[in-house]
Amino acid sequence: MRSFLNPLFALMLAAALAACSSTPTEEDTSATDTAEQTEVAPVTPVEPTAPAKPDTSSIPMTADNFYNHPSNYDGTTNSKVIYFAFDSNTVPAAAFETLRAHATHLKNNANAKVRLEGHADERGTREYNVALSERRSKAVEKFLRVQGVSASQIEVVSYGEEKPAAFGHSEMDWAKNRRVELNYTAGRP
Amino acid sequence: MSRIALLLVILLSSTVARAELLIKVTEGRVDAVPIAVVPFAGSQGAPEDVSAIVAADLHRSGQFKPLPAEDMLSRPSKQSEVIYRDFRVLGMEYIVAGTMKALESGGYEISYALYDVSSEVKLLEETYRPPVSQLRDVAHAISDRIYEQLTGIPGAFSTKILYVTHNRGAANPYQLQYADADGHRVTTILRSKEPIMSPAWSPDGRKVTYVSFEDRGLPAIYVHELATTQREKVSSFKGINGAPDWSPDGQKLALTLSRDGNPEIYVLDITTKALTRLTNHYGIDTEPRWLPDGENLVFTSSRSGGPQIYKLNINDKSVRRVSFQGAYNARPDVTPDGRYLVYVHRRNGSFNVGVQDLQRGTFNIVTRTDMDESPSVAPNGSMVIYGTQDRGTGVLEAVSIDGRVKVELPSKEGEVREPAWSPFL
Repeated sequence: MRSFLNPLFALMLAAALAACSSTPTEEDTSATDTAEQTEVAPVTPVEPTAPAKPDTSSIPMTADNFYNHPSNYDGTTNSKVIYFAFDSNTVPAAAFETLRAHATHLKNNANAKVRLEGHADERGTREYNVALSERRSKAVEKFLRVQGVSASQIEVVSYGEEKPAAFGHSEMDWAKNRRVELNYTAGRP
Repeated sequence: MSRIALLLVILLSSTVARAELLIKVTEGRVDAVPIAVVPFAGSQGAPEDVSAIVAADLHRSGQFKPLPAEDMLSRPSKQSEVIYRDFRVLGMEYIVAGTMKALESGGYEISYALYDVSSEVKLLEETYRPPVSQLRDVAHAISDRIYEQLTGIPGAFSTKILYVTHNRGAANPYQLQYADADGHRVTTILRSKEPIMSPAWSPDGRKVTYVSFEDRGLPAIYVHELATTQREKVSSFKGINGAPDWSPDGQKLALTLSRDGNPEIYVLDITTKALTRLTNHYGIDTEPRWLPDGENLVFTSSRSGGPQIYKLNINDKSVRRVSFQGAYNARPDVTPDGRYLVYVHRRNGSFNVGVQDLQRGTFNIVTRTDMDESPSVAPNGSMVIYGTQDRGTGVLEAVSIDGRVKVELPSKEGEVREPAWSPFL
């Protein structure tokens, strides 16, 4: 049911980001360095009027918004985990830039191969969760394919709840476990 | 359910090896039958206490309430020594008495008899001469005979439980093991750095099948002979290779493959490797289980939205929905007579084992824990073993089909999950 809120939540988050983007903090600069170096022309040392990265630290992270929280995605290939809402296989909007960076890398490096490892939280039966986690991997695969990545560069594996990233049993642990990991088997970025 | 009484926790056996499972009966029937299993004469110093194992077996069924040995007024070992009055005053309905005698050959001679207190007659008498290595087997065989004599149902004490353990931090965190139905005599079949899932027995109990991700982290289905440890990778297609279940005739596996795009149910001929696709739906189809007739399967499908249980005829591939209560029903198993389905049911965010009576159409939730999964029915249809969580750790529990008896199998190290009860061996 929470999944119905996703698009709405993404909008709210975007609005919140815009509102607080003018007050970057210390914590936030280190995460944005690389992005600004690539996006801002090096010859003009002008204050950017629209910072590429807003202050994400002021948006409280909860189990409900974890999957779409900007701090989980840095917009580069350094981010290798995509999170999902409960009972959902919708790629979160906050992860789009990160996935486009992976797509660019894959398209520019024909030898690069990525394995999309899908995971579910522990609730529900194990083989059904394998199937659910495959849907998440396939959603990421589709996103990359739409960006023009060759099918031969992508491998999909579905682990269900068998390889949790967080071992607790709270809503936040479950949020961390509903994920697809991008693991490069060749041509690592 | 309301008439369940809490019984005293009983820890089995004095000498439990480190990795073995402890078993405790947490809920028994209030009308459990009082029985006195008199310590067998000559059992002192024997490597296994056969009469104590029999008493523990009967207790674990929840249907019997063995008398503590210290409460016995007399300790007969043969018919001429039985004073029925001593047991009648304690409310006992049956007496088991016998002897254990060390043989020159190194083995033991075990003789016992079962007596009915009210009619004062001998109901059963047997003698075994096992080597020391088979003392536990003989104890379970005696339990089976007594149980069948008194209930009319074959006992399942001589069976095994197959399960997966997960011990984070270990060099090989995932292990596939089996143990006696009372948790003793653990044998490790497979150790792996990568997940092991969905173990199931062959109908003759000589082989097991399972999913292992050991090869480059990709799932494959194996057929593994226990005695020889020889195994064969029978399915490693692109995508999901999951949920294998052995056909009643031993020739085929039902399984889940997503090689055609999304998870569908297939049947694989183990010998010829011929593959037949049975479902064709964009939803998730998985977790197939054979019905005893070998002509039908039950499985989990999301074709109506959330997961529900469906029945599938393997000849005409017709599909019919079976579960209708609630929004989440998955991972079915079937009793040997085909009458009851057991499966995981979600209610108020809690996952429990439910039992559906296919004849009468009734549905009952038989567990009161949370996060219950992987129910597996004993070959005599009496109990269901399943995985659940105890303070955040995976443990096994068993419950009677009617929900009146509950048994815990707490693990001593790491997680224990996905139990599969063996056929009669």
